[in-house]
Amino acid sequence: MSLINKLIFLFLYLFVFSSANAEGYVKAGDSLIWDSENKSYTANGDVEFKNDKFIAFADKMIANYEERNNDEIFTKIELFNNVVIEFEEETFKGNYAIYTRKDNIIKLVGDVSIESPTRLLTGSELIADIDNNKRILNSNNNESLVEVLLENNAND
Amino acid sequence: MIRNFSSKIINALIIFVIGIQCFIYFLNQKPLTENFSQKTITVENFSSIVLSNSGITKIGSEKLNKIDENHIYLEGNSYLENKEYKIYGKDITIKLNEEISNSNEPVEIINKMGLLKAQGFKNYDNDGKIFFEGEVEFVINK
Repeated sequence: MSLINKLIFLFLYLFVFSSANAEGYVKAGDSLIWDSENKSYTANGDVEFKNDKFIAFADKMIANYEERNNDEIFTKIELFNNVVIEFEEETFKGNYAIYTRKDNIIKLVGDVSIESPTRLLTGSELIADIDNNKRILNSNNNESLVEVLLENNAND
Repeated sequence: MIRNFSSKIINALIIFVIGIQCFIYFLNQKPLTENFSQKTITVENFSSIVLSNSGITKIGSEKLNKIDENHIYLEGNSYLENKEYKIYGKDITIKLNEEISNSNEPVEIINKMGLLKAQGFKNYDNDGKIFFEGEVEFVINK
């Protein structure tokens, strides 16, 4: 094997290895508190959170975790103030959001909007069911409920 | 009758002695905070084990400065390690009686979830809380 081939192999190996082992991250501009007794992380100031599903931005985040098979995984993510969640081609905005891992559902409340390449919808509450590709947008007065089903090939 | 009386006295004595022992044991109970130091070649390179209410913590540093009975200053590259985390930093102050350690220097923490980098920390070991100051980046393992 030539030197160039070895270098290419090494580069690809390192790239794949690093991608496989970094599921996500939490970034905070001001502080982060790890509470091992209550099994939570609290991040403050320009918080950025990424997992294998979405990237989220907010002023504050509280993430709860639990231990499984000697590993710790996040089970619930709460985001506070100026919440922006980017999921594939959609952007969800709101004042508060909560994501639960067990059902892969994101719920946003307070001046909620959902923006996709083809439309912008606003309301007071958004429930995004990631697994079932379903969005439920509620309005403030409960008189008009909007349910939007997104097709993967909507642009075709 | 005398034998029966003696037996009662002996029983009473046994109960009394056991009671006294329980009382002494109760009085001798103190918070488990002991410090065993095991200096290696020089003061500049040392390792130590701290036993406290929150468990065993291994500490190490380039240089140990013992300020007083309850304060240790780990100068230079230092580490704290227990069953939940490994903290790698520098210039770390430890308050043994309060079980608080802190540093204003950049620090890296490895735990079961991933690798965390921050600009400083304050660790309240007794409460199980670590505060990381400044910009924080926590890369989560898969």
